Amino acid sequence: MSESLPIVGQLLFTGLSIGGVYALVALGIVLIYRATNVVNFAQGDFSMLGAYILVVLTQGAGLPYGLAFAVALAAMALFGLLFALGVYYPLRNRTFLPVIIATIGASIMFQNGALAVFGPSPQKLRPIIDAGPTGGVTVGGVFFDYQYLVTLVVTLVLVAVQHFFFEYTLLGKKMQATSQDKDMARLLGIPVTAMIALTFIYSTFLGGLSGMLVAPIFFVTHKMGAVLGLKAFAATITGGFGDVKGAIIGGLALGIVETFGAAYISVPYKDAFAFLVLIIFLLFRPQGIFGEKVAEKA
Amino acid sequence: MRRRLGLVTIVLAAALLVTACGGGSSQGGGAAQGGGQPSGQSAQQAAGGGETKPIKIGQVIPITGEAAESGKYQKQGAELAVEQINAAGGVKGRKLQLVQEDDKTTNPGAVAALQKLLEDKEIVAVIGSIRSTQVQAMMPTIAEAKIPVAIGGTNYGLTHSGNPWVFRFRPHDGYSAQVLAKFTVEELGKKKVAVIHSTDAFGTGGKDFVVEALKKLGVEPVLVQGYNNGEKDYTAILTALKQSGAEALITYMTFSTDLGIMAKQIKQLGINVTWVGSPSITAKDAANLAGDALYGTYGVTDFQVDGSEASKKFAEAYKAKYGQNPDLYSAWTYDAVMVFAEAMKKAPDLKPESIRQAILSIKGFPGAEGEYNFDQNGDGLRHYHVVKNENGTWKLFKTITITD
Repeated sequence: MSESLPIVGQLLFTGLSIGGVYALVALGIVLIYRATNVVNFAQGDFSMLGAYILVVLTQGAGLPYGLAFAVALAAMALFGLLFALGVYYPLRNRTFLPVIIATIGASIMFQNGALAVFGPSPQKLRPIIDAGPTGGVTVGGVFFDYQYLVTLVVTLVLVAVQHFFFEYTLLGKKMQATSQDKDMARLLGIPVTAMIALTFIYSTFLGGLSGMLVAPIFFVTHKMGAVLGLKAFAATITGGFGDVKGAIIGGLALGIVETFGAAYISVPYKDAFAFLVLIIFLLFRPQGIFGEKVAEKA
Repeated sequence: MRRRLGLVTIVLAAALLVTACGGGSSQGGGAAQGGGQPSGQSAQQAAGGGETKPIKIGQVIPITGEAAESGKYQKQGAELAVEQINAAGGVKGRKLQLVQEDDKTTNPGAVAALQKLLEDKEIVAVIGSIRSTQVQAMMPTIAEAKIPVAIGGTNYGLTHSGNPWVFRFRPHDGYSAQVLAKFTVEELGKKKVAVIHSTDAFGTGGKDFVVEALKKLGVEPVLVQGYNNGEKDYTAILTALKQSGAEALITYMTFSTDLGIMAKQIKQLGINVTWVGSPSITAKDAANLAGDALYGTYGVTDFQVDGSEASKKFAEAYKAKYGQNPDLYSAWTYDAVMVFAEAMKKAPDLKPESIRQAILSIKGFPGAEGEYNFDQNGDGLRHYHVVKNENGTWKLFKTITITD
């Protein structure tokens, strides 16, 4: 019995850490959804692109890690603007479906582009805290990976910042107004296009950041974003679509369900648990744990 | 209600995306995908004596797609062999010539490439794919064409399905599993053995062979656990491994990324087992990713640079021409060309049946991979090298040949 306690602790930490990564990607999905009512299926690939940019800057250009990290984030923000102009803007007056399909197309393009440029061999990135032979610390029989700790902290900070931004700042309120009713927002003098572009910029920034955080653990491959994006999507539905709290709770819950399901029920069906939760929520509580904040449109 | 409909659409779109990326590759996987289009024509033998035109050998390789990098090595291995044979006077007074087609790293692409090669009636033999799933897809076309095809896929069934035209230039998975089990139990003396494997066709097939071989040696594995390709976290498996009290771990993993992540976590969780891995553990990628987490582990591999005199000679020539050490991708295509050439020299003419018989009669031929002795199924090799990771380099530890 005494032996099972560290095991439960280990599973809990791992589940929360993986869940934190899902939550971080989910935040980006939620943001874009709130601004445009579109689910961005390329969000996971933003993680992959961010990680590859960091690989190029550190290993290719030889920049010091801190500087490379900052430049990569800036590059991702710029990329967000291009994404908004190239994928969203031409279809902005259509229904949500063509835009969603466009994001799926973009996702396929990014993955194959990365494959063509970087090849199929996975790349390695150093962790943020590069210390010790194992890159972590063992306390009471539970191993804490520094990189996961950093990821969890960053996720929590970003959630707090994002919550504050949307609820208490004028810019955040303008963005919310844009998401609720574009025409009305325009009448009120809100620069709708700029608001939406801003949302995309921040989302790609977030996506890139999540990729750079998980890359040292997962390694960098052209497919690393695909699974992340889908799990994050499941997390947003579980938590309540369009809800920031929901994204983080959904993400963490998903990570824990997955890890414990794998440990106590079945490893090969690990991925199935996440999507089983998704289906159960869609059937019985499609609004998710926290419901949907954006008002129903006529 | 509209919103709910929207969500359903989105989920459908997600499902689409899952299938789109779920259909990814599994190296050496065995699942056949569709049947090849029968080409409707059989390859003709090349014209007989008095010819001065080169003898053509076809090669199906991935030039584009995910396996493009390995395709490069397969191309170089075959080209080196052709160059050496031509420099030594060719075959029957004629030069050899390679005709290469891109398989796009897909099964339909492989079948199409093979069919395109078969259109050329001057091609007397073909070097097929190293990927079992592609070979499986090509099988009907090969049976119809009745022309010798070299393969590198290690799935056991490929040479045991009654197709007499397929010749394998790497030892099959049954042998690697037997070597893994034999080495762990007999050489290392471990009795408490755990098995971790990928759940794809390749990993499951390998696991079955390993468990069978272990049982034959009187060892019942203490843990047999599968995981899906692309798994990012092995905590659940590794805690079970720790609890099982295993002294040794045999893995049959498909992708080096997965192996790298698991290796790091084994180290982080402080698990102390002797690890003996299937060939993926010796891949360059795995070493790059996992680094010191793999120090002290064992692996099995069919090709080792210093595995034999012939391997060393091949490695020297390869290094002189391409500036780097060869790997198994270049070794098996090199051997395929060499064995084809040897068979063509021995055969009275270049009819497919004559070449086939000549290949079957080859005994003790020293190749880069190992010594070739073809059996009636078309399997040429039955050895595996056990190698040990010493501070990042894989050193030859012992070569084990299975003599059923």
